Amino acid sequence: MRSPLRARFNPAELGNDLRVAFFLVFKAVTRGNKYTLVLTILVTTLAFINIIFTSSIMNGAISKAYQQAQENYVSNIVILPAVDDKYINQVQQLKTRINTLPGVVSCSSRYSQSGLIRYDPEKDNLDVREKAWNIKSIDPEEEIKVTNLQNYMIAGRYLEEGDRDQIIMGREISGGYGASFQISSLKGAQVGDQVTIAYGNGVKRDYKIKGIYNTYFPLADLNVFVTEKEMESVLGLHNRASEVLIKTDGSVPERVYIDRLRMMGIEEEQLNVWMDFIGYISGLTQTFDIVKTIVTFIGLLVAGVTIFIVIFIATVNRRRQIGILKAIGMKERIIILSYIFQAVFYAFLGIIAGLVVIHAGLVPYFVRHPLPMPIGLVSLALVRQDMAIAILSMLLVSVVAGFIPSWMVTRQNIIKAIWG
Amino acid sequence: MIIEAKALKKTFGGAVPVEALKDVDLQINRGEFVGIMGPSGSGKSTLLHMLALLDDPTAGKIIVDGTDIATLSSMQKTGFRLNKLGYVFQEYALLPELNALENVYLPLMMLGAPAREYRRAAMEMMETVGLGKRAKHLISQMSGGEQQRVAIARALVNNSKILFADEPCANLDTKNSAIVMNLLRNLCDERKQTIIMVTHEPEHMQFADRIIWIKDGMIEKEEKAG
Repeated sequence: MRSPLRARFNPAELGNDLRVAFFLVFKAVTRGNKYTLVLTILVTTLAFINIIFTSSIMNGAISKAYQQAQENYVSNIVILPAVDDKYINQVQQLKTRINTLPGVVSCSSRYSQSGLIRYDPEKDNLDVREKAWNIKSIDPEEEIKVTNLQNYMIAGRYLEEGDRDQIIMGREISGGYGASFQISSLKGAQVGDQVTIAYGNGVKRDYKIKGIYNTYFPLADLNVFVTEKEMESVLGLHNRASEVLIKTDGSVPERVYIDRLRMMGIEEEQLNVWMDFIGYISGLTQTFDIVKTIVTFIGLLVAGVTIFIVIFIATVNRRRQIGILKAIGMKERIIILSYIFQAVFYAFLGIIAGLVVIHAGLVPYFVRHPLPMPIGLVSLALVRQDMAIAILSMLLVSVVAGFIPSWMVTRQNIIKAIWG
Repeated sequence: MIIEAKALKKTFGGAVPVEALKDVDLQINRGEFVGIMGPSGSGKSTLLHMLALLDDPTAGKIIVDGTDIATLSSMQKTGFRLNKLGYVFQEYALLPELNALENVYLPLMMLGAPAREYRRAAMEMMETVGLGKRAKHLISQMSGGEQQRVAIARALVNNSKILFADEPCANLDTKNSAIVMNLLRNLCDERKQTIIMVTHEPEHMQFADRIIWIKDGMIEKEEKAG
């Protein structure tokens, strides 16, 4: 069956039909029941906020995870040793060259060595807690230009250049301060406590815990750091590194920096972007994306069904009037267009009101009161593309919600519509 | 002749099919005021609906203003109704969100007339039905008689060739009925307007030129009136 909207395409005629449909809607809205209008717009506003709010929280969580990975875990790009090498050689010269690349903010090098951390809180060998972990080294001065760990100390202080017998560790290693993985941690190590690290190369050293940090990002909070000088003395190495972290200004995609680094002679296999290191977080964000899509779809369905019900009730209540309009010669498509306009009008006002509530109410509130999540403090992240999709989808859904009931009623025989 | 119906039949389906019209032959002249009368269920409204293109006959032929209705598509019938026919229903059938003038100019607007033109024509028609001063009033602010006169103005604003009126005074008191019936008579006399009216009120017979009596779906008799 041909749609009445496509019955005959004549631009001038269609223009006039649109004019009549718009006239009917304008009068129906301005002279119709104001309470029904306000209630309908309120419902569409809530439906729109529901779509945007849920997806913005998801986006906020995803973007927080990505931000945490870049600011507190591995920065933007990581250079690893070549496949057959254990370390990156001539690392000071390499870092000097990297720092000259346009768009590079800074870089830092780290050693990484496996070790067994032994913590005996009472020093009586009765309650010894041991944990095998990768011990990493940092040059404190260099590191603060690449990661923000120094800003997240919850106890004690950050490492200094000359520290040799002191370490800092993440909350998840210490096992205190509300750690999430307490069972697999040192179960309550605190600043000032003594630990012994037996490195994988057989060297064993005692350290005092100088500071404990908490970024709320589990991957970052599962690290133990000593100074670079200390690690070089443990390993007996100099001017090498297990990894080089590069912080970029983000002006161009990471792929561009990778290409520039390749042109410096670094092999493709050695170059990694931060996304390669976030493991399960990456899977989680993919899950969030799926959940976001499902929630958006359900939200749109709710909005669509709401508008559908409003238009359906309006058309059923006006069935007789619609029959009369047909009897006096009104084309079906004018009637359908008028109800589509009405539905789009409800959706449009709902979107506008929703945007006002989101921008003037929800966003400022969540900036002041972010939600604590396992990946950090999350506030709403409004993604322009998601907003555009939600707005367009809502308008599209309203077109369908306006079309179906009006099409159903206009299909009825005139006599049946008027006299039942 | 403006309407000619031949062997018109209408059967309503269902468990027990009902033959509402049985072989009706009818001719109506231009400028004629015809009253269709008969008891309830006689088929008079069904006949009006067939002639007014509101429903399709089961069999038979209807020619309106030289056009065989059977040759028209649904869309063409809609256009035909808009251009050539006018309707007045017993319950006024006006749009409550529009004021009187807007209700009247709606058909002209649908025809694509410019705003100035349809406003002027609608206002003239409002004057014709004696409601020039009530043009900007909402329908809810008007009496039943006034509403029916607005409906008549709407039915005629597009210079419709035939005005169909389905018991136009059924919901009106005696005074308003007289106003509406006199208005219809005047339109017929002064504008040579063809009017076909269904009524069951014997006192309305005097306003028509001819009365067609329907009984059991057939024309029982025709008689001159007035």
